[in-house]
Amino acid sequence: MRLLHEENVRDIALGAAVLGTGGGGDPYIGMLMACAAVRQYGPVTLYTLDELADDDLIIPSAGMGAPTVAVEKLPNGDDYVSAFQALERYLGRSARATMSIEAGGLNSVVPIYVAARLRLPMVDCDGMGRAFPEIQMVTHTLYGISATPFTLADVHGNVVLMETINNRWTETFARTIAVDMGAEAATAMYPATAGQLKEAAISGTITLAETIGQTIRQARSTEENPVDTVRNAAGGFLIFNGKITDVQRRTTGGFARGDARLEGIDDYRGQTLTLHFQNEHLAARVDGVYKVTTPDLIAVLDIDTGEPITTEALRYGCRVAVIGIPCSGKWRTDEGLALAGPRYFGYDVDYTPVEEVYE
Amino acid sequence: MRIIDEKNVEDLALGAAVLGTGGGGDPYVGMLMAKQAIRDYGPIELYDLDEFDDDDLVVPTAMMGAPTVMIEKLPNGDDFVHAFEAVSKYIGKPVKATMTIEAGGLNSVVPIYVAARLRLPMVDCDGMGRAFPEIQMVTHTIYGISATPFAMADANGNTVLMETINNRWTETFARSVTIDMGAMASIALYAATVGQLKEAAIRGIVTKAEAIGKTIRLARVQEEDPVKTVREAVGGLLIFKGKIGDVERRTEGGFARGTAHILGIDDYAGQEARLHFQNEHLAFQVNGEYAVTTPDLIALLDVDTGEPVTTEGMRYGFRVAVIGIPCSEKWRTPKGLELVGPRYFGYDVDYVPVEERYG
Repeated sequence: MRLLHEENVRDIALGAAVLGTGGGGDPYIGMLMACAAVRQYGPVTLYTLDELADDDLIIPSAGMGAPTVAVEKLPNGDDYVSAFQALERYLGRSARATMSIEAGGLNSVVPIYVAARLRLPMVDCDGMGRAFPEIQMVTHTLYGISATPFTLADVHGNVVLMETINNRWTETFARTIAVDMGAEAATAMYPATAGQLKEAAISGTITLAETIGQTIRQARSTEENPVDTVRNAAGGFLIFNGKITDVQRRTTGGFARGDARLEGIDDYRGQTLTLHFQNEHLAARVDGVYKVTTPDLIAVLDIDTGEPITTEALRYGCRVAVIGIPCSGKWRTDEGLALAGPRYFGYDVDYTPVEEVYE
Repeated sequence: MRIIDEKNVEDLALGAAVLGTGGGGDPYVGMLMAKQAIRDYGPIELYDLDEFDDDDLVVPTAMMGAPTVMIEKLPNGDDFVHAFEAVSKYIGKPVKATMTIEAGGLNSVVPIYVAARLRLPMVDCDGMGRAFPEIQMVTHTIYGISATPFAMADANGNTVLMETINNRWTETFARSVTIDMGAMASIALYAATVGQLKEAAIRGIVTKAEAIGKTIRLARVQEEDPVKTVREAVGGLLIFKGKIGDVERRTEGGFARGTAHILGIDDYAGQEARLHFQNEHLAFQVNGEYAVTTPDLIALLDVDTGEPVTTEGMRYGFRVAVIGIPCSEKWRTPKGLELVGPRYFGYDVDYVPVEERYG
């Protein structure tokens, strides 16, 4: 057990942007909300799963929708509380703690806000170890944990609750309702016991995000190579150093899809890396050959500062390092790859763990 | 209290097609389901509101979506039970009866199916006295009764339950989810006590629909003027007789909109009329002047049989009688007209009760 203060929240948000692999939503607004809540209600207690009893109920709390909207249309906070409490009411049970369902991006810090406001602890785990765009893409799904009962709430005071036959249906209905709610909704979902989560969740991801964030922050003020320090903190491999020469973007099927082209610099001169993204960076090809694909993490870092660059921020001329980070072993199973592997996203390639390519 | 058996259901469905004013969905499939349920589970009991205690709880059941879909994609019946039980479970109190929210069209018979399967009584009232296309368009809304808790279920086994801040929001979310569910959903909504319904509902409407249906059935075998017989049974006024010329149809904003041109025959020879519809017949113009508008009912009857003609059923060459039927007084209040008057549907005219023009 340890306490999360404002500075921890800032580091978590910074590190979560690396785990967001270019997507997951800018944690900035969520970080401000979480910091304000911690100032007002006191620090949040972070537990490891082992510190909880097996039958303790954990309810993750998250935002859903278009991250581009979240930046302009702020949540009022009551919506998160109302989604969370609606789920508790429906279950007829109080949650022992909340958690992040997605440690990459915005949803790393949303549960800190909820935990502070409801004076609940938070658990150091998540369901992705990164960011993914759809609700069913969590390790919970691999272990048969239902996304439902699932609640959505909006800033107006509307609440929708659903029970679906599988987590793919939850995604379908919830996406539609989130659009009606203004392309942004507060949600509570995947209620599970600590016993279930010991098997199904990815442990320690909040601490991992914080460590990465702390490393980036310190790299700013030291003379070390920031990309190396961040890469080490995240346990990643350097894939490429290059300059962005072209970015194509298209919004199709509710996703921000696109490709970025990088011309190699330094040791990579003469080579070309193509980065494919659908909200998150999902595949990287060097000279036409797939080198890293989802579910492994592909992070793009500013070569001078080590700070992560999101897909929206990819611009001509940026000099970046591309690093590959091994995903959780849970994603490397047949079920995991069926849910979030390259073929699910339409890339015609089998998954090869990044460390097999680069070690 | 009286018993509703298979014969009553047939009459009810036929009369409901008149009250459907061209829309409300073809009651045919619903009628077959209701008759089957009565065969399997026995006849149902229809009560007047006065026969219950004021604090008895009533939950209406209905179908939502595109009636055109329902003819091809049958409900499995369990979906109605799921929606009904989701609302009763959420409220946590025993439900004494179900009712129809919309006595015009398909939803006249849906609650009979539910009542038979769940061995519940049904109360003789509705929230429209006709058919309307949106969820908030019920007399319950005028009296401040919330559409929520609102539950919807599909044939796959999914359930969505919502609490919204007003009935317009219910319509927004429910319409979107209905599309995801396959353009058709089973719903339970507008839970209210008998005391509330005594004030808010339109009473005796099931019996009225049945009486209309019986009249049409008998008119088939008798030699009388069937239109006159039906018109008298519904308390309607003859507006026009003519031959259908051109029918323009377009599907806009989820509605089947259009205009039918009708050329006068008999006493109306030389006159020209236009019937405007949006799922239901909503406005009727004779020689360019509005003659009848929503919320009064506009029914088209086949001049030879007295049977109602739906908007989909209108074809070049049909000879029809157009009758106007006064709506419930509840719709004639400022609140009622704001909700379903001609201006809500985009017709630039003030409402004038049909009997003031034709009485």
